[in-house]
Amino acid sequence: MPRLPLEGIRILDSTYVFALPYAGGHLADLGAEVIKIEGPGRPDVTRTGGYAGSFPENRAGEEWWNKPSTYNLLNRGKKSLVLDMGDERGRDLFREMVAVSDVVMENFTPRVMRRWNLDYPNLRKIKPDIILISNTGYGHGDGPYSGYPAQATTQEATHGHCWVTGYLDGEPAKAGASFVDFLSTWSAIFALGAALRYRNRTGKGQWIDIAMYQAGVMFLSEYLMDSSINGREGGRMGNRHPFRAPQGCYPALGRDQWITLSVGSDEEWESLCRLMGRGELAADSRFADILSRRRNHDEADEIIAAWTATTDKYELMHLLQGAGIPSGPVLTGRDIHYDPHYKHRGFLERVDFPEERGVGSRFLMGRPYKYSNTPMSIKGPGPKFGQNNEEMLKELLALDEATYQSLLDETIITTTPTSGDPSPQMEPARAVELGLLAAYDPEYLQKLGQA
Amino acid sequence: MLTGALEGVKVLDLSGDIAGSFCARLLADYGAEVLKVEPPGGAALRRMGPFFHDDPHPDKSLFFLALNLNKKGATLNLETVTGQAILKRLVPHVDVIVETYRPGYLGSLGLGYEDLASLNPALTMTSITPFGQEGPYSQYRGEEIVNYAMGMIMSISGVQGREPLKHGGFQAQYEGGLFAAATTSMALFGSEFTGQGEHIDVSITECIASTMMATQTMYPFMGGTQVRRRASGSMFGHPMPCEDGWIIVQTGGGASWEDLAEFFQCPEMLEERFADRAQRAINGEELDRIVIESIKERSKWELFPKAAEYRMLFGLVQTPSELVDCPQLESRNFFREIEHPVMGKVKVPAELFKLSETPYKLERSAPTLGQDNREIYVDGLEYDDRQFTRLRQLGVI
Repeated sequence: MPRLPLEGIRILDSTYVFALPYAGGHLADLGAEVIKIEGPGRPDVTRTGGYAGSFPENRAGEEWWNKPSTYNLLNRGKKSLVLDMGDERGRDLFREMVAVSDVVMENFTPRVMRRWNLDYPNLRKIKPDIILISNTGYGHGDGPYSGYPAQATTQEATHGHCWVTGYLDGEPAKAGASFVDFLSTWSAIFALGAALRYRNRTGKGQWIDIAMYQAGVMFLSEYLMDSSINGREGGRMGNRHPFRAPQGCYPALGRDQWITLSVGSDEEWESLCRLMGRGELAADSRFADILSRRRNHDEADEIIAAWTATTDKYELMHLLQGAGIPSGPVLTGRDIHYDPHYKHRGFLERVDFPEERGVGSRFLMGRPYKYSNTPMSIKGPGPKFGQNNEEMLKELLALDEATYQSLLDETIITTTPTSGDPSPQMEPARAVELGLLAAYDPEYLQKLGQA
Repeated sequence: MLTGALEGVKVLDLSGDIAGSFCARLLADYGAEVLKVEPPGGAALRRMGPFFHDDPHPDKSLFFLALNLNKKGATLNLETVTGQAILKRLVPHVDVIVETYRPGYLGSLGLGYEDLASLNPALTMTSITPFGQEGPYSQYRGEEIVNYAMGMIMSISGVQGREPLKHGGFQAQYEGGLFAAATTSMALFGSEFTGQGEHIDVSITECIASTMMATQTMYPFMGGTQVRRRASGSMFGHPMPCEDGWIIVQTGGGASWEDLAEFFQCPEMLEERFADRAQRAINGEELDRIVIESIKERSKWELFPKAAEYRMLFGLVQTPSELVDCPQLESRNFFREIEHPVMGKVKVPAELFKLSETPYKLERSAPTLGQDNREIYVDGLEYDDRQFTRLRQLGVI
């Protein structure tokens, strides 16, 4: 087996929700030993409530907190240690773990780690070359918003994303799913690779201070410069492009089926006209050059939509791409499981859960990249709550049985969360009826070969 | 003493687009020495606006400026035999090549990963493309909107009854660039132990897809397909209009429903018909009416700090000019000033995140076209003045 980049690196992952937990999952793919730390009364919110995703066969059941889809995707390949960080004994054990680890990840609001004397200066006293990754909404420091509670939904407004997202000339809108979280996910992985290389060469650690807000703003760099230099405020263009036209998302054959396409040159427009059987439109003065196509974009949209509406979205993509026009169907969460390209690339990996988990095997997304010399795969599902308590405390920290038992008795450690409820599940048919689900396929287990 | 985390890493940036330029810029920002290698006519991004004072000059693209800070720049025509030979002379001296050509293009010039790795086994080549290096769609053309469509996000963005909606700007390209920088930095750390590089194949569509946690996993877990939100109903979690713009509120965080009712000064919110999530979804339109009415004469700037006192998850829709003047970003030293040889002093978005021991440095502006040719070819590769002139005359540089 080729050596994975993070072999031998131990990471204490005291993070919640999406951004850094997902980074930890990817770091496990890269070979790190990632130990997820949760509090007895603070199971990660992807185990409970609205962020959990789906339960197998839509049933919470026994040990429901180990089953949710989002939890298992994000926390794949990790170990689990449950430790009450609100208790001094829990924090002492955490400190002992720090002493034998390479990296600590946390996403508490800035004051928390300070209050626990677990901020970077204090962690360095325990392990001088420790690398600490902090992810917060607005970043550490003395800025006016540093202490503000934050979460992706509200940040996507604050960092400017909503201002530029929305239907043409409509109100600002949010993207359909969390977006800014993942800028922190990948910033953390990027920064950690650089910090580990630096440590390898100098023997020094590093504090990586990531602010989701700041990352989100960075992704609007051209708008910021257009504003500060040209005084322009940007705005919402729907599915259109600042330079290319026409571009849009058009109906395809079938209920709620869509195709996107983007025309960038006169030649591409001519090809599109030929495909539509409307060769005469290529020379039509309404559409002959980019300026007229932008001016008459609405009319072009109507003509295109009339053509696309009667053809399958995949067939449209192949036709359009065959003619050199960038195009692709709107793929749903179901579609990608049957898409030949996703399949060819092995993007979805079958992950086998241990028998006792009662989950069977499920397809989870791997990585959006491949290394030519170092194949990678998801090491396993997310760990059960407290799955590795004994291994961590008795083996790694060499606690004796009596001490371990007293920690259990006082619920400093546990394998059953002391709070939290499963997110309520609705019958799929009812959810489709209410417009809360696009579709339900009762044969998914057989079709995917998961049965 | 290293002052940058990636100090000593040498990078050739062969990309002309957003994703590759951003990836290489991030490597440069944290200490790598990056040379942007452009065709003699300049990278495509130089022709992309916005432009400085709306003047479409190749050294005045603000987009190019933002994504090529901290780099040196040279020109090289890879479609000439001499240009290819020159690239091969540079390869033994570099650790990373970032490129975004259509899969197979560099290989057709004898400059594919295998060709170059034979000259330098520690070389890492980071290839960023719409669909990846292999697979049935690998030769298909991507565009921002296509990445969102095929990466699933569009299927749940926008509202039911209308067409799916893309994100504003070029988020997918930036994401491809950031994700690629992350995989590159991990490969660089790995090669500390193996002495071996990697060809890294980054698919921008998969970068988008990989963020669709609940959307992807729903199908294999329970057979469902996620949907766009309903056109009407509770706007919690979506922008709501107030006096001077829009705010956004998410339930949860440190604030209870009662806290929210107090914050909005809306006792009606405590009525039975809004008692739980299901009730609030069913009576969403009525709830919206009450809440939006209560803020129509309140400013987002008044509400934002007040919401923080209630420990609410709260945001306001900021415009680009508000972001440029943001005191939080100022406290984080996010913007920096740089002297550009053509545009003069400009304020640029600079630092992505903070590293305590090797702080971010903005050391140079984006290169003007061919700015460092002499240093690279005469000082570095030791062409004499006569040969240097000849390379220029032949259109190689």
